[in-house]
Amino acid sequence: MSSETTTGSGPTASVNSTEDAVERLHIAGLHAPTDAVLSVRDLNVRFTSENGVVHAVRGVDFDLMPGRTLGIVGESGSGKSVTSLAIMGLLPETAEVTGSVRLRGQELLGLSDKAMCGYRGNDIAMVFQDPLSSLTPVYTVGTQIIEALTIHNPTMSKQAKEARAVELLAMVGIPSPKARLKAFPHEFSGGMRQRVMIAIAIANNPRVLIADEPTTALDVTIQAQVLEVLHTAQEETGAAVVMITHDLGVVAGMADDIMVMYAGKPVETGAVDDIYYNPRMPYTLGLLGAVPRVDVAEKTSLVPIDGLPPNLLHAPTGCSFAPRCPLASDACRDGEPPLAPVPGSALHHAACIKSEALGGDVDVHDIFAAPPVPESRFDAIPRTDRSTVLQLRDIRKHFPLTKGALIKKRIGTVKAVDGLSFDIREGECFSIVGESGSGKTTTLLEIMEFHKDQDGEVVIGGLSNKQAADARTKSAMRRELQMVFQDPTGALDPRFTVYEVLAEPLQNAGMDRPAIRTRIMELMKLVGLQPDHVNRFPNQFSGGQRQRIGIARALAVNPKLVVLDEPVSALDVSVQAGVINLLDKLRAELGLSYLLVAHDLSVVRHISNRVAVMYLGKIVEIGEVDRVFDNPRHPYTRALLSAIPVPDPQVERTRERIILKGDLPSPLDAPKGCNFATRCPVFAALPAAKQEKCLTLEPPLEAVAPSQAARSLQPEAPALDQQFACFFPDGELDDDMLVTHDQAEHHAP
Amino acid sequence: MTNLNAVDPAAAAQDAHLDSADVVIGKSTIIFRRFMRNKTAVAGLVIFLALTVFSFVGGFFTTWDKETIDPFNIGMPPSAEHFLGTSQAGIDLYAMTVEGTRISILIGLVVGLVSVLIAAVYGCTMAYFGGKVDKVMLFVLEALIMMPALLVVAVATSGGGAGLKRDLPSWLLLIIVLLVFSWMGTARLIRSLSMSLMQRDFVKAAQYMGVPPRRIVWRHLVPNIGSLLVLDITRGVTGAILAEVAFSFIGIGIKVPDVSLGVLIGGATSQVQTFPWMFWVPLTVMFLLTGSLAMMNDGLRDAFDPSSSSTGKARKARKIRVEKSK
Repeated sequence: MSSETTTGSGPTASVNSTEDAVERLHIAGLHAPTDAVLSVRDLNVRFTSENGVVHAVRGVDFDLMPGRTLGIVGESGSGKSVTSLAIMGLLPETAEVTGSVRLRGQELLGLSDKAMCGYRGNDIAMVFQDPLSSLTPVYTVGTQIIEALTIHNPTMSKQAKEARAVELLAMVGIPSPKARLKAFPHEFSGGMRQRVMIAIAIANNPRVLIADEPTTALDVTIQAQVLEVLHTAQEETGAAVVMITHDLGVVAGMADDIMVMYAGKPVETGAVDDIYYNPRMPYTLGLLGAVPRVDVAEKTSLVPIDGLPPNLLHAPTGCSFAPRCPLASDACRDGEPPLAPVPGSALHHAACIKSEALGGDVDVHDIFAAPPVPESRFDAIPRTDRSTVLQLRDIRKHFPLTKGALIKKRIGTVKAVDGLSFDIREGECFSIVGESGSGKTTTLLEIMEFHKDQDGEVVIGGLSNKQAADARTKSAMRRELQMVFQDPTGALDPRFTVYEVLAEPLQNAGMDRPAIRTRIMELMKLVGLQPDHVNRFPNQFSGGQRQRIGIARALAVNPKLVVLDEPVSALDVSVQAGVINLLDKLRAELGLSYLLVAHDLSVVRHISNRVAVMYLGKIVEIGEVDRVFDNPRHPYTRALLSAIPVPDPQVERTRERIILKGDLPSPLDAPKGCNFATRCPVFAALPAAKQEKCLTLEPPLEAVAPSQAARSLQPEAPALDQQFACFFPDGELDDDMLVTHDQAEHHAP
Repeated sequence: MTNLNAVDPAAAAQDAHLDSADVVIGKSTIIFRRFMRNKTAVAGLVIFLALTVFSFVGGFFTTWDKETIDPFNIGMPPSAEHFLGTSQAGIDLYAMTVEGTRISILIGLVVGLVSVLIAAVYGCTMAYFGGKVDKVMLFVLEALIMMPALLVVAVATSGGGAGLKRDLPSWLLLIIVLLVFSWMGTARLIRSLSMSLMQRDFVKAAQYMGVPPRRIVWRHLVPNIGSLLVLDITRGVTGAILAEVAFSFIGIGIKVPDVSLGVLIGGATSQVQTFPWMFWVPLTVMFLLTGSLAMMNDGLRDAFDPSSSSTGKARKARKIRVEKSK
C-alpha cells in the first residue's frame, strides 16, 4: 500500500521556550515544500501541576496530505488529545506550547486567539468526544449551524445560509432536515447530536477535520452510523482527517496512516497495514494483542502490558516504554531511541532499537508472557448437570409515565424489562449485551434489589424473593451475590484505605478482627495486588488496580455469583487485558459464576460461555456464545455484530456491514408486534403481507433447530443451545442498510 | 480456598513506580500547601490563634480581674496601671476584654462545630432515607427556620427560663439557643449534596453488601462532605460570634456578671463620647476575630476547590526559583 502521507521523524530534542536562531532555522528547514495541508513539527506541550511541570507532548511530527486520514492511537495520558488541542489553539493559557504547526504553509502557533478564530471552524475544524455537551442547549441546531456559517462568511445571504444548513443536515443523514433546523439539541439523541456536530464542523469546507474520540460515547450501532457519516463528510469536502482514538478497531477501517503515541511521543508511525500486520515496536505489539477479537472463536489469553505509563514530570532517561517492555535490555535504558525507518518499508518508522528483530512472525503472547488459558473444573461437566446459582422467571419492570401537575394522568408505560427469564449455572459466565436503553442495567438492579413485591421471581442460590425476603434471607442472599461496578473510582469510597474497603463486607458478615486481617491479605494476593498496600487510599492506585480492589471486595464474602456491570469499560486497553485475564482466572480457580453486562461485544465473546442479546427490555437471542456470535439468527444480533469494528484493516475494508437506520425507539412508542420492526433490515425488505405479521404478532423465543445434516445423522439430537425471537431469520436484508467499503473506494482520493 | 500466592509482577512494577516518583501527594498535603500559599489566609490563621492564646494567657499579665473594683480609678483612660483603662464601675477593661474574648471564642467554636455536626447528621439522614422520612424531617427543618429566633432567645435568656437560668450560666444557655437555630441552612445544603453522593457507586456497593443504613451515613456520607463541613465550620463560628455580639448588644444574650465582647460593646455605646476606649477596644477585638475567620475562609475555599487559581501561583514561584538559580 502506497502512502503519500509521511509521518517522518523530526528532531527529538526538546526545544526551550527561548529557541535560539540555529534551532529555528533547523525547524524551518524541515518544512520542505510539500503539499501537506497540515504539518506539525516538534510539537511540545508542557503543563504545570501541583507536582511540577508535566511534559505532556514531547516532539510530535507529522504531515497530513489532503483527503487522507491519520489515526492517532494511544492510551489515556499519551498526549493524543493534547496534541489536537494544541493544533487548534484551544489549550489553556497556562500551557506552554512550542514547535511549529503549519496549515497550508501558514504558521498557527503563536497566533493570538483572535487570529486563530479566523482558522478555527473555517480551515480547520474539530469534532469533540461528548456530543451531549458540545451543543448549546438554548439555541436551535439551525441557529448553531448558521452561526458557524455567519462567522466565516459575513456576506452570505440569509436564504443561502439556511439552504446550506439544510444541505449539511441532509449530508450527515438527518431525516427531514428542513423541519429539524428548528429543533433544539435536547430533541436529538446522542448519535444525532454527533451528526449535527459533524455538520457544523464541515460547514465551511475545512481542509483539516480533527475528530477527537468522536464515537467513544456512543453505542456500537450508532458508532457505525457516525463513522459512516464521517466517511461521507470526508468524501464530500475532501478534507484531511485526524482521527484520535483509543480503539484500534475504529481506525483500522478509517485511517490511511497510523501514529501510535506513548508517553507524549510517537513511538511508531506508518501506513495502516504496516502497523497492524507488521508492528515493530513492542508497545504496538502489546496493544494489538491486548484487544479481544469479536470475530475469533479460539480462546487465547489476552496480552497484558504490565505497569503504568511513565510519569511525565521527569524526562525519561531511556526508552519511555522500557520499564514495561519485556524485551528491555540495558541498551534500551540508555537514551531515548528516535523514530527510525523500518527496513523494507520507507514510510514505516518505529522508535525501538530492536525493531529489526521484531518481524511479522513474532508471537506477541511469547513476548509478553501471556498467562495460559485457565481451565475450570466445571468446564468438563455438562451444563445441565451443574447446579443453578441464579434463576430469573418472567421478571418485569414497568415504569408508569404520567403527565399533569395536579391530577396525574397515566399516559403510558415504559417497559424497561419485559418478561425476562434465564438461568446461570455454576462456573459459568453469562453476559447480557445490548445498546443503552435496552434494559441491561435495570435487569441487574432488579436482581440486586431482591424484594418480595417484584414482578417475577428471582432465585439466588436456592433462595427465592417470593418465599421469604426478610432481613436474614437478604443477608444470606448478599453472601451469595456480590457486584463489581463500572467505574472503579466511583465505587471505592475515596476516604477509605484499601483495608477499610475490604474490611467492610467482612465486618458486616460478623467476622472477628484477626480473621478479617488474614482474609484481606489473602484477597490482596488473589487479585494480584501487594498485600502491604492495604494502607493506601484508592487514589494512590491506577484504574486497573482500583478495579482489582473492587473485585477483591466482591470476593470477600466468598460469593457464588458475581455481577459485573461493565467491569472494564472505564479502563485502558492494556490494563483491560489484565483485568479480563484476572476475571477469567478467578472464575476457573474459585468456581465462580459471572453475570456480565457489557456493551463491548469483543470482551463478551472473550470471557463468556453464554450470552443474551437484549432489545427494548426483551431478550431477542440467547445461547452459547460461539453459536450466537458465529451464526446469529436475529437481525438485530447480526446488525450488532457487524457494527463492531475489528482491529484488522483487511477485514474492515472488505466486510459487509449492516448500518441500522435511526436510534433505539423510545420504549413509549415501542411497536405492538416485534420491537425491532422499526429498524429491522429484514423487515424493510419483506413484502407487505409478511410485514403485517411482524407488526401485529410478538415473536416468541424459539430454539434453533439442528441442521438437516445433523438430524439425519442423529435423529434424536437435542435442541441446540440457541434461541431467538424472529419470524423471518432467513429473510433478505434491505440493500440500503448494507454498506461495504471495498479496497477501491477506500483508496479513492 | 486461596492458592494463588504469586504476586502480580504488574503490581510490583507499579509499586516501584509509585514509590520512586512523587506522583501521589496526599490530599491533605495538597490542601495544606494551597492554604499556606494564600498569604491572607495564613495571616488570618495567625491572628485567630494569637487572639485565642491571648484570651487564655492574657489574664496573667495583669493583677486585676473582671470583678475587682479599683475605687481610685473609675472611668479612667488607659494608663500604666490599667493597660486599657477602666469602666465607669472601676473594673479593669483589659481583664474584661480577655474574659469577653474567651467567652466569645468559646461560643463561636462550640456553636460553629456542633451546629455543623447536627446539620451533617440530619442532612445525611434525610438524603439517605428519602421518601417519607425526608418529608417529615424537611417539615421540621422548615418549621424551625420560620420560628422567630430572636424572640426565643429573648424569652429563654431573660423572662421564661427562670429555672434554666438558675442552673446554667448565661453563656451556656445562649450556646444552646443559638445551636437550635443555627444548623438548618447547612442541613439543607448537606441534604442536597448527599443526595448526589447517594448516586455514587460506593454507596450502592455498601448497600448491596448489606451494610446497615446508620453505618453508611456515618462512614460514607459524612466524611465525603468533609471539605464543605470545614468551610461551614469557619462560617458558623463567625456567624455565632456575630450573633452573640448582636444579642448581647440588645441586652438579651449574655448577662452581667458574665462578660462577652457583645456585653462590653453594648454597655459602652451610650458613652462613646466620654469613654471612647470602652467602645473601641472590644469592637477592635471583635473585628479582628471575625475578620481573621473571614480571611481564613477565603483561603480554605481556595485550598479545597480543585479549580482554583492557586496552581498558577505554584508555577510562578517555580519559575522565579529557576531564574534565580540561573
